[in-house]
Amino acid sequence: MREEFKLLVALQDLDIMIKEAEEKKTSDQLKDMGFQLDGLEELRKARAKLAGKIPTALRNRYEKLAGHYSMAIIPVTENRCLGCFVKLPTSFFSSAYSSELITCENCGRLLFIP
Amino acid sequence: MESKKLASLFQEDLCIFSLRSRKKASVMQEMVRHLKASGKITDEHFILEMLKNRESLGSTGLGLGAAFPHGRSIAIPELTVLFARSPSGVDFEALDSKPTKIFFLILAPSEKGAETYLDLLSRLTALVQQPETLEKLYEIKDFESLQAVLGGDGK
Ligand SMILES: [Zn+2]
Repeated sequence: MREEFKLLVALQDLDIMIKEAEEKKTSDQLKDMGFQLDGLEELRKARAKLAGKIPTALRNRYEKLAGHYSMAIIPVTENRCLGCFVKLPTSFFSSAYSSELITCENCGRLLFIP
Repeated sequence: MESKKLASLFQEDLCIFSLRSRKKASVMQEMVRHLKASGKITDEHFILEMLKNRESLGSTGLGLGAAFPHGRSIAIPELTVLFARSPSGVDFEALDSKPTKIFFLILAPSEKGAETYLDLLSRLTALVQQPETLEKLYEIKDFESLQAVLGGDGK
């Protein structure tokens, strides 16, 4: 996996965490269990730092997709995009670790192939 | 999920009865490495990164010698829980500043909602609130005794 794509995947994981901590329902549940969620500002800083390491064009592509879908990068299971469930051509997988980013032809999400 | 027995969510190969690591970062690494070795995950990097970030949001060491590192990642295919125990205890920056002896690592896929792991997390955090159960968890040395303790929550 290309290094900048790795950063992008980590960025999405972080965005999901931030969203969870910002959501009242989820954060209330966590607080009820005894968790303290005081570091939200630190997470936002970590997010900005990480985003700064990603090339602008790639980051913009991610942000645009993230504005449209709940997940810009989506895992592939059994050759299917888990975003739109369309079956992907097998040729995708031979080139999975090549330098090119793989996009679902149907929905346009970036694909994460484990 | 609600009706699922707690004990059935654990696997023998996803237990570490005696952690070797003595520091917070290395404990997380040891647990994640164990998941990789068991084939549950393919990439340690994303999980470790996510867990590290989660700790900066607030320590998952809730005190009473128990910690619950958790979170969602694209690199997790399905809800996974790992049990680990440190006989001597580890400084996990717990809220009560006491050493942490037992760990429940809970990981969920990011394409599913937070509720995927919240129910499990809430049951496990409730479990350690029972002093008798907690004492037993500190001493767990094999899967059978873990199952016995987890089976005792009446669910
Ligand atoms: Zn798709």
